[in-house]
Amino acid sequence: MSVKLLGERIKRKEDPRLIQGRGHYVDDLPLCNMLYLAFVRSPHAHAQIKSIQLEEARKMPGVGAIYTGKDLDGRLGLIPCAAGIEGLKIPDHPCLALGRVRYVGEPVAVVVANNRYQAADAAAKVEVDYNALPAVVDMDRAVAPSSPLVHESLGDNMAFVAKLEGGDWKAVEADASVKVLKQRLVNQRLAPLSMETRGVVASYSPGEDTLTVWSSTQIPHLLKTQLAVMTGTDEARVRVIAPEVGGAFGSKLNVYAEEGVACFVSRQFGQPVKWIESRRENLMATIHGRDQIDDLEIYYRPDGKVVGLKCRILADLGAYHQLLTPAIPTLTALMILGSYNIPAVFVETKGLFTNKMATDAYRGAGRPEATYIIERVMDLVALELKLDPVEIRLKNFPPPGKDIVLATGVSYDTDNYQKTLKKVLTLSSYKKLRREQARLRKKGKYLGIGLSTYVEICAMGPSSRMPAGGWESGTVRVEPTGKVTVLSGTSPHGQGEETSFAQIVAEELGVPYDDVTVYHGDTNQVPMGIGTFGSRTTAVGGTAIYLATQRIKRKMARLAAHKLGVKPGEMVFRDGKVEREDGSKSMKFAEVVGEAYFAKQLPSGVEPGLVENFVFEPPNYTYPFGAHVAVVEVDGETGEVSLRNYYAVDDCGRILNPMLVDGQIHGGLAQGIGQALWEEHVYDENGQLLTGTLMDCAVPKAHQLCWFETANTETRTPVNPLGVKGVGEAGTIGSTPAIVNAVIDALQPFGARHLDMPLKPEKVWRILKQGPAQAA
Amino acid sequence: MKIEGSWKLAAPRETVFRQLMDPRFLARSLPGCEKLDPLPDGSYQATLKIGVGAMKGTYQGRVEIVDALPPESFRIKVEGKGAGGFVKGEGKISLTAENGETLLNYTGEAQVGGVIASVGQRMIQAAARQIVDQFFAAFSRTLLPSPASSTPSGGAGSPAS
Repeated sequence: MSVKLLGERIKRKEDPRLIQGRGHYVDDLPLCNMLYLAFVRSPHAHAQIKSIQLEEARKMPGVGAIYTGKDLDGRLGLIPCAAGIEGLKIPDHPCLALGRVRYVGEPVAVVVANNRYQAADAAAKVEVDYNALPAVVDMDRAVAPSSPLVHESLGDNMAFVAKLEGGDWKAVEADASVKVLKQRLVNQRLAPLSMETRGVVASYSPGEDTLTVWSSTQIPHLLKTQLAVMTGTDEARVRVIAPEVGGAFGSKLNVYAEEGVACFVSRQFGQPVKWIESRRENLMATIHGRDQIDDLEIYYRPDGKVVGLKCRILADLGAYHQLLTPAIPTLTALMILGSYNIPAVFVETKGLFTNKMATDAYRGAGRPEATYIIERVMDLVALELKLDPVEIRLKNFPPPGKDIVLATGVSYDTDNYQKTLKKVLTLSSYKKLRREQARLRKKGKYLGIGLSTYVEICAMGPSSRMPAGGWESGTVRVEPTGKVTVLSGTSPHGQGEETSFAQIVAEELGVPYDDVTVYHGDTNQVPMGIGTFGSRTTAVGGTAIYLATQRIKRKMARLAAHKLGVKPGEMVFRDGKVEREDGSKSMKFAEVVGEAYFAKQLPSGVEPGLVENFVFEPPNYTYPFGAHVAVVEVDGETGEVSLRNYYAVDDCGRILNPMLVDGQIHGGLAQGIGQALWEEHVYDENGQLLTGTLMDCAVPKAHQLCWFETANTETRTPVNPLGVKGVGEAGTIGSTPAIVNAVIDALQPFGARHLDMPLKPEKVWRILKQGPAQAA
Repeated sequence: MKIEGSWKLAAPRETVFRQLMDPRFLARSLPGCEKLDPLPDGSYQATLKIGVGAMKGTYQGRVEIVDALPPESFRIKVEGKGAGGFVKGEGKISLTAENGETLLNYTGEAQVGGVIASVGQRMIQAAARQIVDQFFAAFSRTLLPSPASSTPSGGAGSPAS
């Protein structure tokens, strides 16, 4: 047998270079004659630009040019939005503001200089005269007829209204035993905050008439198409390279103003141009995540069965649409029933313009919001009926393994929610925890146990449901020396697919793992691609590579069989050989490769060489699920919440490398816990960003977290031949409600019902201050 | 952001009022004031170099004094901007005569934007307070005859929020 690779904890190919500081990010790129950009940004949330004076700035040393919105108007295209929603209003979104600014941080002008310091100094000398206008900040007020308008020409602040209704509401209304519970949940705005900020180098070569762009992006191929259109460059002459990308979490699944401007400037000068985002720019002008207000009506029976859910969502989209801005809250509606068979649903989603930076995809993108809603619903009803959170979940799960279509119209690929729940209860010794909790309460100590059972939608996705195609391409090329090159259209940036893709190919071809090298992120190298987001890279991109490998195997089997005088179907690949199952006829892998390249005795109709491409079109999304238990301690005096234990059981289908899965879960948990306890990106009532530095913007740190106990169940998906579902976002999706449920649980002696995130000590302390609940 | 406080000044109310209206004394007292030129409409064009925490930088702005009721009170409107963002504020200053000296009460609202707002809003109040204190300390020294006797009154060294 070959060395077993799939399912093993294989160390990451990426790590030696990354942990030794030998990787190359955009900012590490040295090019001759490089020019640098600095952006002048709006200090106002909403203002008219009266005038822009450039004289002083132009006199500054090293300045090559300064451009404003007027200079770019008609010469550089608008920032694209790909979301397809019926009746969606899409305001013009120029790369540099034209006449009006609509959020703090909006680029107004750009300075081109010989180095970044000169660019920054000159940008500080650009004088912009603004006429400040009232800002739209609060969502409840944004919908009022008297509200100022972010875009006057659109008539109101409503970008879209979408409704999703399903199931039998008449039956709900006819049932006299049904009670209704109302609750408002606020899902606060967050900053995605990747360690590496955004950055771009654009290099136009006038002689060759080619534009090469290095960008810290998740979507090199989509970016190539968009930049070609925006700059009016022949797409065949545009090359986008995503070098090492230091984190993205969805924030680099986008086409940004600065990328367009860098290309424009490079074309003007015929020189390379660099822009590296500062942390302050990152916090104000890279997309934000979440930001919803969800008003719920929960219809439930006295036995704990939830029979209907109504939700009115206000989604803060910010001032302009970025690539997928309006699409994100629609995913909340789609997944709002989570892992429960609730027979009637109604969701109305209003996407609102406000004078803030755009929201868009941030790890989970619409699904953490959905999971938070439904998991709080379960606990709210349990609290009302004095049921254990486990009991209410079991009551509302669908029976395992049955194909059901939910009231939302969604049908999941696989499910066995009972199994993950049971496993996490065992892992956490749930019953023992409850006993411990009761004991501690008597001593005036507040232990909280929180549960969350989620299902998410990922492996995005079928092209019919995706704005710009949901397929992915994979290419496998066996080189003449027998080494294997793998090209993926995905663009991993920390997830570790250089490792897992090599595992797939090495195991399939029976060659050493070290003989396989994976490349991605260069549009001149990889023929076509979509990118990395929506937990799709392995499930869609990995499948494409697996299927391209099958094509290679078929060809090699045919070549070997031809040479050995046996049937191609008899050939197996193992231990560097292509041979019959019984080993009676055998060729070395390298010999078969030689046959293909030397091409002396090819079977008729077989082309020389060994390169195969496969473009995989997924027939459905996948729906990973899991069950998490969080254990927290609330300090009875300060209200501080500390995390004591965290147990996560996730079912992401087949696991190719448990270490990579653990890594994704760990990182996801940290971000999900961060939202529950600490993080919020805050604008004041005038639309000024208050959390503009890392002094003010809370980010979870290792010492605030605890040891994560992770485990898995493996229910393979039938959607792809690998059986993998995707795991990049699961940790974030499952953990936020588990933590909030745990804190509310800890505060039961004080009669707490709900608190909005983040659960900072002050909020908890206010509950503690009220004293023990009456008749608790 | 709300700013308020009071200072006790060792000079009669009329003198204090007159000197507060005089750009020469103001220019000398405003911390980092590089320019304070009267404009035809009665307001002043100012250039201030501020070196306090997050507000560090050079600010260009306009100062306007309105509703002057000598020697009791006036309102002051300030608008400034610099590389760090903008400041906009309005305040009321009232003078009360106390045994030949003056008790000055000030109260105002300021709005900041841009970098100043995003770089630690929580530090701005203290920074603003420091600037105001520096101003009154310097201003009180311009008052004759005995500038040294001026002190912040009643420990009002911190803004009432």
